[in-house]
Amino acid sequence: MTRALSDPETRLGLRLIVGKLFEYRRDAVASVVSALIWMGLVVAGPYLEKLIIDRAIVGRRQDLLLPLVGLLLVVGGVKAVGIGGRRWYAFRLSYRAETDLRNRIFEHIQRLTFSFHDATATGELMARASSDLSQVRLIYAMLPITVANVAMFVLVGGVLVALDPVLGSLADLAIPVMGILAFVYARRVIGTSFELQQSLARMSTVVEEGVSGIRVVKAFGAEATEIDRVDRTSQQIFEASMKLAGQRAAFLPGFELVPAAATALVLWLGGLRVVDGAMTLGDFVAFTQYLVLLVFPLRLTGWFFAELPRAAAAAARVVQLLRTAPEITDPDEPAEMPEGPGEIRFSRVEFSYPGGPPVLRGVDLVVPGGSSVALVGGTGSGKTTLAYLIPRFYDPDRGAVLLDGVDVRRLRLDDLRREVALVFEDTFLFSASIRDNIAFGNPDASDDQITLAARLAGAHDFISALPDGYDTMVGERGLSLSGGQRQRIALARALLRDPRVLILDDATSSVDAATEAEIRRNLKGVMRGRTTVIVAHRTSTLALADRVVLLEDGVVVAVGPHRRLLAEVPRYREVLAEMDPEEATA
Amino acid sequence: MTLRYARMGSDDRPEDPGKVLRRAVGEGRHLLWPALGAAAATLVATAARLAGPLVVRTGVDQGVSVGDRGVITWAASIYLGLLVLFYLASRWSTWAVAAVGERYLRRLRVRVYRHLMGLDLGFFERTKTGVLVSRMTSDLEALTTFTNEGAIAVITSTLTVLGVGVGLVVVDPALAAVVLVVFPLLIGASLVFRRYADEAYRRVREEIGLVLSSLQEGIAGVRVVQAYTQERHQLKRFHRVNRRYYEANLDAARAISVYFPAVDFLRTSTIGLVLLVGGSRVLAGQSTVGSLIAFLLYLNWFFEPIVQLSNVYNLAQAALAALSKLFGILDRKPAVAEAPHPVDLPEPVRGELRFEGVTFGYDPAAPVLQDVHLVIPPGQRVAVVGETGAGKSTLAKLAVRFYDPQEGRVCLDGYDLRQVSFRSLRRWVAMVPQEGYLFDGSVRDNIAYGRPGLDDETIWEVCERLGIDGWVRSLPERLDTQVRERGSRLSSGERQLLSLARTMAADPAVIVLDEATSNLDPETEATVERALGELLAGRTAIVIAHRLQTAERADRVVVIDEGRIVEDGTFADLVAAGGHFAGLRQVWADIHRTA
Repeated sequence: MTRALSDPETRLGLRLIVGKLFEYRRDAVASVVSALIWMGLVVAGPYLEKLIIDRAIVGRRQDLLLPLVGLLLVVGGVKAVGIGGRRWYAFRLSYRAETDLRNRIFEHIQRLTFSFHDATATGELMARASSDLSQVRLIYAMLPITVANVAMFVLVGGVLVALDPVLGSLADLAIPVMGILAFVYARRVIGTSFELQQSLARMSTVVEEGVSGIRVVKAFGAEATEIDRVDRTSQQIFEASMKLAGQRAAFLPGFELVPAAATALVLWLGGLRVVDGAMTLGDFVAFTQYLVLLVFPLRLTGWFFAELPRAAAAAARVVQLLRTAPEITDPDEPAEMPEGPGEIRFSRVEFSYPGGPPVLRGVDLVVPGGSSVALVGGTGSGKTTLAYLIPRFYDPDRGAVLLDGVDVRRLRLDDLRREVALVFEDTFLFSASIRDNIAFGNPDASDDQITLAARLAGAHDFISALPDGYDTMVGERGLSLSGGQRQRIALARALLRDPRVLILDDATSSVDAATEAEIRRNLKGVMRGRTTVIVAHRTSTLALADRVVLLEDGVVVAVGPHRRLLAEVPRYREVLAEMDPEEATA
Repeated sequence: MTLRYARMGSDDRPEDPGKVLRRAVGEGRHLLWPALGAAAATLVATAARLAGPLVVRTGVDQGVSVGDRGVITWAASIYLGLLVLFYLASRWSTWAVAAVGERYLRRLRVRVYRHLMGLDLGFFERTKTGVLVSRMTSDLEALTTFTNEGAIAVITSTLTVLGVGVGLVVVDPALAAVVLVVFPLLIGASLVFRRYADEAYRRVREEIGLVLSSLQEGIAGVRVVQAYTQERHQLKRFHRVNRRYYEANLDAARAISVYFPAVDFLRTSTIGLVLLVGGSRVLAGQSTVGSLIAFLLYLNWFFEPIVQLSNVYNLAQAALAALSKLFGILDRKPAVAEAPHPVDLPEPVRGELRFEGVTFGYDPAAPVLQDVHLVIPPGQRVAVVGETGAGKSTLAKLAVRFYDPQEGRVCLDGYDLRQVSFRSLRRWVAMVPQEGYLFDGSVRDNIAYGRPGLDDETIWEVCERLGIDGWVRSLPERLDTQVRERGSRLSSGERQLLSLARTMAADPAVIVLDEATSNLDPETEATVERALGELLAGRTAIVIAHRLQTAERADRVVVIDEGRIVEDGTFADLVAAGGHFAGLRQVWADIHRTA
């Protein structure tokens, strides 16, 4: 275990845990102090019982009985307060630390750049902010009682020897035995629980696949295949559970066995010593009570130390996430947002994704303010990447992107992105009402403005036809909309920003022909007066743009109106023919 | 403006716990003997443990107090013997109780899933995937948790409390009466705590659900958030959600921080009372020191089980709620079921598909298809065209018997689909869904999905015919390449190609295909088109067309409008006729003309 704790990763995690402890030192101190008070009085309990038996009962002093029992009750009362304080402050400390860390993770995730999110799965980040934090929290919740428990072992060990040196030394041997037993048990159970968790997670994947792919399952009559997969996963769960049961069965009765065996020893040796007059009956009672007392604290402590390396590793993962610096940030001395029509200029722009081949190899392009261009090219030609450089989702490796004459890297991100709105290829809707989704970028927009944006995006009619209209809940926990409907909401969201530059990434790909025609009619209107960049995946979208830019292998190979390129550039015709076979024959 | 989150209404109290419990017990009838064995072992273990203090009493009263060393040694030996018995019986019982529970669950899991897979498609369309997944995961996990941690505690704790009660009365009835005074207080405190804590924990569960979904959304939607510079706004919202979770937890912590000290004080008071009353009785010669010591030993086992029972109560309640939801699934009857005496289609299957006066509506009062007559001769490729909501997909679903018509019938080679065995129907009729849906597993598993155990030679042949053998060969591990996370690392075109290969490998006589609408890069698009042509050649096919060029490639075009077939003919005929179809084509052509 010490080896595990000295590894640099783990030390990183432990530093975070200790750091937070210092931040919430009032709760930490209060819970540890309460725990120590509790512990001291717990240890006093059996001793008081011994006094009552020896002095009052065996010593036949009826007059001592009531005061001593009274003392026992007072001690019990204070002890109860100690328990309450220990639990309350430890809980508060642990939830504070968890909540605070989760806020920090969320904030950090929101700031991390596209390139980070491209490379990191959602589940990975979710694990940081949920299961990893739960593990860290448990350490906080258990720390005060563990401190008190360790103190208790020392104290009880001493008291036992003080009561009777011979018997006490023998009984003290039970403490380390049980401690080791508890640690081994906890480590095994934690390992097996992890196996169990994994097979449960596998079950979740298998069921999710079978249920969301039910059409395929049924289409191929593959129900038996799916049931078989669930059957096999069930078997894994069964085996892990039984392994866990085996471990529990071996150890749990063992935890009772050790103090009970010590009790047998006390009964025998202690009994004989009482007869010899070397020990009192009260000592005898105190002995057995102390041994029972230690069982649970020992188990808890074993568990704490078995869990600590895992929690430290979890904390280390959290630290590493928080240490990842966002690549794109506000400039130190931001320039004023220039007035202008929204002219975009790419100047010798080169770009490659981390570890990948060059995507853009020196793009020079000017999009005059208020005009529109369509970017055309095959997969990997760099058309989406080029568009993403404008709102600084990525920064070019070399060269510059200028908005109305100012390098976008010199502008505040807030200012820049307020002027550049983008409709993504895959539309993301939040679990909120349609109104809130449209107003996502302008939380203060009025209903009239929202309706207008929806009208412009061709979304108003279908929204009004929904039973709850603009109040309809959508997203993960709401109504599922078709791809086309989602895209229109996303378009309305962009239009509500009234941006200087509008970027449409394949914005009409999943709507039927009639809807597409309607959106195109609407778009014509909204494009007026702003610069529009269309990342075109279909020939039909080309019609919207004043000019077409043909990209190939990361460079601009032709620029001009659609008709002219069609007439003059053979490569353009080839690309279009591949995009849309019908167009070539038309 | 505040964003209103959809609150998840989670009511996890079963309607009638007694009924659910009776049924749950009935479901486990086959485990009667193992369960009885486990119960016997638990009884022995509890008895062995509870006998201990009685032995101590004898040792003290007849050995220590009167100075008889022989009795002391005897008592200690018997005590040790009881310990060994306790350990063995307890080990066996802990294991056996878990074994009964796990076997029960293992069977239930597969049973629920088997039933689920047998339900009709309509059920899946009405029910959210997440809900069904949580039946099979979180609900069953609640049961696992209960069998793992709860069941043994319930049995042992109940037996221990009862046994201790008996032990107390045996040792000293008068002193036992003192404990009985405390008992109702303990139960009362536990009940009050339970009610308060249940509510608090319900809120904690609800809030953690919200925290997780906000988190998920914040990560999945991070690009939109950044594009619209709403980071601060999102953060503020998240802080609020997180804060509510924190407060719900503190409420629960408050309950815990009062209840446990209260129980502890009750315990101390009981010990005090026992010492006071018991001590006076010893002094008055009405009881012995040994009895008093036995009493104190018993009391150690009296409070713990009651606290534990009150802890387990939560688990038990969650388990009951989960059971009642699972029974809810088992009680659901599939709307589309296999006939009692199904027939296999005689081979070779020609593939003549016939809709005879078919009327169908998801809600019978609102028919989506009305009196549809359509005969598709073997090997013909029919494109079905129409506006969204016209009934195209519904027609396709009836052709593969995902639903049964309310009137009329759908026949394949003259057999009503309702008479045909599922095995035979799925063997000869395949549906290719809109987007290529892949399963976790290798490329081979995915291609051979409809024909498990298909040999590699045939799989490669399929790949060659579809023109994707080159691509598969270029994959790092060829057929063994793992399709991870449902193929999220593959492009949409590659997923579609694999989906076509899967259909080809299944070699059906009739294919029903919902054309994909997602965009592919030109090269892949061409490959998919070629592959599709190869797949459909020589088979009867219904293609739900979203693009007009698809219609153009078909042998025949059927136009559906408001649930009826309004036009039927070749592409050229329909264009020439100048009807509905010509109008649809015009819209399309308009788009291109302006280009």
